Amino acid sequence: MNFPHSELAAQWITLLAAGMLVIQMLMVVQGMLLTNIRLFALQSLMLAAIAAIIAFFHNAPHVYWVAGLTIVGKVFFLPWLLNRQVRRMQIHQEIEPLFNSTASMVLCGAFTLLGYIVARPFTSLERLGNNTLGIAITLLLTGFFLMFNRRKAITQVLALLTVENGVMLAAVALTTYGMPLVVELGIFFDVMVAVMVLGILVYRIRETFASMDVNKLSQLKG
Amino acid sequence: MVLVLLLAVPLLAGLLCLVIRPRVWWERLNLAAFVIVAGLAVLLGQDVARPGGPGRVLALNGWLQADALSALVVGLTAFVALACAIYAVGYFRRDLQEGRITEAQLRHYYVLAPLFVCAMLLAPLADNLGVMWVAIESTTLASVLLVTFYNHKTSFEAGWKYIIIGSVGISLALFGTVITYSSAVGVLGADTHHGMNWSVLVGIADKFNPTAMRLAFVMVVLGYGTKAGLAPMHTWKPDAYSEAPVPAAALLGAGFINCAIYSIMRFDVLAEKCLGHEFPSRMLVGFGLFSILLAAPFVLVQRNFRRLLAYSSIDHAGIMVAALGFGGRLGFLGAVLHMLFHAVTKPLLFFCAGNVQQQFSSPYFRKVRGVIHTLPWTGTLFLLGAFAVTGTPPFSLFQSEFITLSAALADGRSWTAALFVLGVVTIFVGFLLHMSKMNLGAAQEAVPRAAECPWKFGAMALVSAVVVTFSLWLPAPLFELVKQSVHILGGAS
Repeated sequence: MNFPHSELAAQWITLLAAGMLVIQMLMVVQGMLLTNIRLFALQSLMLAAIAAIIAFFHNAPHVYWVAGLTIVGKVFFLPWLLNRQVRRMQIHQEIEPLFNSTASMVLCGAFTLLGYIVARPFTSLERLGNNTLGIAITLLLTGFFLMFNRRKAITQVLALLTVENGVMLAAVALTTYGMPLVVELGIFFDVMVAVMVLGILVYRIRETFASMDVNKLSQLKG
Repeated sequence: MVLVLLLAVPLLAGLLCLVIRPRVWWERLNLAAFVIVAGLAVLLGQDVARPGGPGRVLALNGWLQADALSALVVGLTAFVALACAIYAVGYFRRDLQEGRITEAQLRHYYVLAPLFVCAMLLAPLADNLGVMWVAIESTTLASVLLVTFYNHKTSFEAGWKYIIIGSVGISLALFGTVITYSSAVGVLGADTHHGMNWSVLVGIADKFNPTAMRLAFVMVVLGYGTKAGLAPMHTWKPDAYSEAPVPAAALLGAGFINCAIYSIMRFDVLAEKCLGHEFPSRMLVGFGLFSILLAAPFVLVQRNFRRLLAYSSIDHAGIMVAALGFGGRLGFLGAVLHMLFHAVTKPLLFFCAGNVQQQFSSPYFRKVRGVIHTLPWTGTLFLLGAFAVTGTPPFSLFQSEFITLSAALADGRSWTAALFVLGVVTIFVGFLLHMSKMNLGAAQEAVPRAAECPWKFGAMALVSAVVVTFSLWLPAPLFELVKQSVHILGGAS
């Protein structure tokens, strides 16, 4: 890359991507829903910062849009929405996860390793930073693990959103310029609507089952 | 112009239903919209199939593009949507009458169904793979509230499973799309504006980094395969199909499945160009065969006829993907024909199942006997549909299954072919066992003979007329579309 300061940009991006990974790990061991929502907002802020750095150093003004949308949607709007829902339903704590925090931590370490192994053949393709694709795949895997490990509907929604953060990280890291703006807008719109639809469902499940525990959803079989 | 109208008409109809009040107008608006969409789809098909023409239609600066394969999927979606709209009128009137739903609930259906169809039409019309992804994700969002339509405990369970499993799958598909796009950026350089357009990608696919393409293809097949209901990512399907109201289940099971398979087809063309036949083929045949073989025992021991239809749909998704995997002209022909014939046959079964469930107030085989005495037309057509959907010789699905089998043998996979036959025959036996027990036999005393509802019967008559016609004769323009689609799958853009 022959851009000025691109060395500096690469270092910043690597640092922020690593920060996203650390936050993901914190979410895996954290049981308080409200804290988890804040952690997610912080992770999204880092993603937005990565997008802004790319836009600045690589003269790709439309990537600012990605940064802006991420800040508006994932740093402010969605955390606010989820926060309101948690407060309204008076549920603050996760129930006992399948794996306790130590086991989850070890497993997530293994996922990180796996993510890096899968990403290794692609280091030549990565345009930015050194570890971004590995981290993106790790976010994907740990996000799925988080979804499987926790039984509260809202945590599953948060896990889905962190997976989405991972995919967006891959999108900016692999291509420098992000995707065409129409696609970014479409994805943004879909994520917003998805969380709202999930919110409606969580609310109705809560009304019908008097619980947000997904384990109770187990009547349909065969 | 046609392309824009195809999307605008259902979108408008859905939004109008949000504000208009009396129920009759929701029904009229939906019917009118889907009649127009069907007409536009026919126009589009003729445009694309016209001999000597460019073979594709563009709109909005190339953001929308329809070639033969897109036109075919659009046509099938339009057909299923129209049949469902006719059926829905009768089905929901009865639900209202019997107090199963309120008018406020009913509005959800008439608003969401057109939006769902709009998203289903956007998927094949979008040239940009990112937009295609957005469309597929939108279909999930539009349909999940249709799955939870009845507000039962079980419907929420089905809805939650549907959206969570679907979202996991769809995020994998997005990851795969992003990796494909990054390979394209590597080849095209900084010209990223068109780097996500399939028509551009297909020309440069042979220059992609094979490692990246392999990872991308795995993710895309897992992702869109989840939406198509391939085993082992199929677990949402029986729940969603049995809990959704019948017209919505038919939209999912006969309409949406094509969009998901279509997405896999587009990526398969890219993967075959980049990686050769071996890798994509092995993967698709593996998933396809596993789906067929997994569905077979579940069909045999099934106790609920709505869930039976879901397992049949898993089986058919498997057949389409396996045919695609066998490849060659025969395999592609099998895949395209199977998609076509499955989409025109499946709604009939959903409609009959809906009639039976409403009449006998139960979806369980053990509570339903002698349908043919209570509802003579439904019983007869249900048997006809069962023969058609299992691929019994006079019906068209036999042709496509036979072509698929020949493709397997031509590809030199005799063991795979044997397992394929085993699965298909088991499902045939299971289906007929259940269907003959349910439809034939002595009449039940408790359930009196009933008149067929004209709306529901109209929809069933329309679909069965098409099923019977297609088993004897395929209209020339349609066959032209199929031939061109096979050509496209073969890698000629």
